[in-house]
Amino acid sequence: MAQSQRDVRNRINAVKNIQKITRAMEMVAAARLRRAEQRIEALRPYASAIRRMTRQAAEAAGNVPQLPILVEHENVRSVGLLLVAGDRGLAGAFNSNIVRAGVAAGRQHDGEGHAPIYFASGRRPASSLTFRGVEPAESFTGFTDRPAYADARRIAERLMAAYVDEEVDRVEIFYNGYISPLSQVVRRETLLPLQQATILEEERDEGESESSDHPEHRALVEYEPDPEEILGRLVPDYVEISIFRALLESTASEHGARMTAMRNASDNAGELITDLTLEMNRARQAEITQEIMEVVAGAEGLSG
Amino acid sequence: MAHDKFRAEILTPEGEVFSDEVEMISTRTTAGSIGVLAHHAPILAMLEPTELRLYKTESEVVRYAQAEGYMQVAENRALLLVEEAHSPNELGGLNLRERLNQAERELESAGEDTERRRVAERDKRRLEVFLGISEG
Repeated sequence: MAQSQRDVRNRINAVKNIQKITRAMEMVAAARLRRAEQRIEALRPYASAIRRMTRQAAEAAGNVPQLPILVEHENVRSVGLLLVAGDRGLAGAFNSNIVRAGVAAGRQHDGEGHAPIYFASGRRPASSLTFRGVEPAESFTGFTDRPAYADARRIAERLMAAYVDEEVDRVEIFYNGYISPLSQVVRRETLLPLQQATILEEERDEGESESSDHPEHRALVEYEPDPEEILGRLVPDYVEISIFRALLESTASEHGARMTAMRNASDNAGELITDLTLEMNRARQAEITQEIMEVVAGAEGLSG
Repeated sequence: MAHDKFRAEILTPEGEVFSDEVEMISTRTTAGSIGVLAHHAPILAMLEPTELRLYKTESEVVRYAQAEGYMQVAENRALLLVEEAHSPNELGGLNLRERLNQAERELESAGEDTERRRVAERDKRRLEVFLGISEG
């Protein structure tokens, strides 16, 4: 009897320790989530400034030149799939959702005669893919806690080179879109070929009428080098920015998912502690009752 | 002698790095070094990796290691959009040497006239400039 009481007490202590860890992880994730949200916001002014410049250069050039990344490949033999997730686990279904969606899409492409070629951002999708027997062509790891623009550029350059050198004929990206700390959604988008519409789409909410209202200003602008060449570099920036945004949203989603997962774990630990405490009290009570019965029985034996 | 001041802003994808009144901006476009003073003619230029210098006054200079980007001057304001802008003392933490070696290996293995090769060349040039600034 004393044995089982000690067992239960040990288990309570173990669960309490786990709860302390999950609480700490929840708080760390919450702090990182706030930072990740700020970084998504910080990208916005840069992205809209790039958009404004592109529109200005495109108007000066008369049109957007037919850059290789804008040209659709007629014959689609292989499709590149970029799976963006995390380096670490303990974040609920955050990693597995991406791998599942990516592999399902890969199978579908395979069925249509397009060979899938996987690229992974994050250690988790890289190792899951290897585990499932589909070796990624390249893995980018070590930055998913805090992706830098240089990381996005490295991935973008690799994928654009693969597209231009005809290693792949289309590129799709899978990532956890960030909606709120409690809600993330798997997004699937086509990165390449880049659509002209994406580049020149208007952003109504930015209040930038001052530049478009004065066409005479534009005539005086000096371009260095000429607008076509500037566009040749501005356009690939869209792919870099798209990937960077996906990395940032994925990071925010990861922290959100981990925060939720850890909060649930802490709550479960709390319930478990309540149950175990009850069990321990019962065991103790049973032991006391047993001892009283023994004492009473002994006394009766003596007096009788 | 004091120059007129104008507003200069540096934006990177990771946020605003600098926003203040300056007397002169010194950077590098695809055509070569350029110094921008107040009342400069409107220009849209492509920037190359270099040391970006912002002269708040003749003696007070803010420096950044600047990656590729764009500069727009209009209505006496300069907007610089650059992919990276690091202050010289934070360059040490970027593993520049190691990344340069990697870019050089990539350059050797990439085939002639491929996009991979052009990417590696760009990386190499940028990293060399950054290294020069961090060691200079």
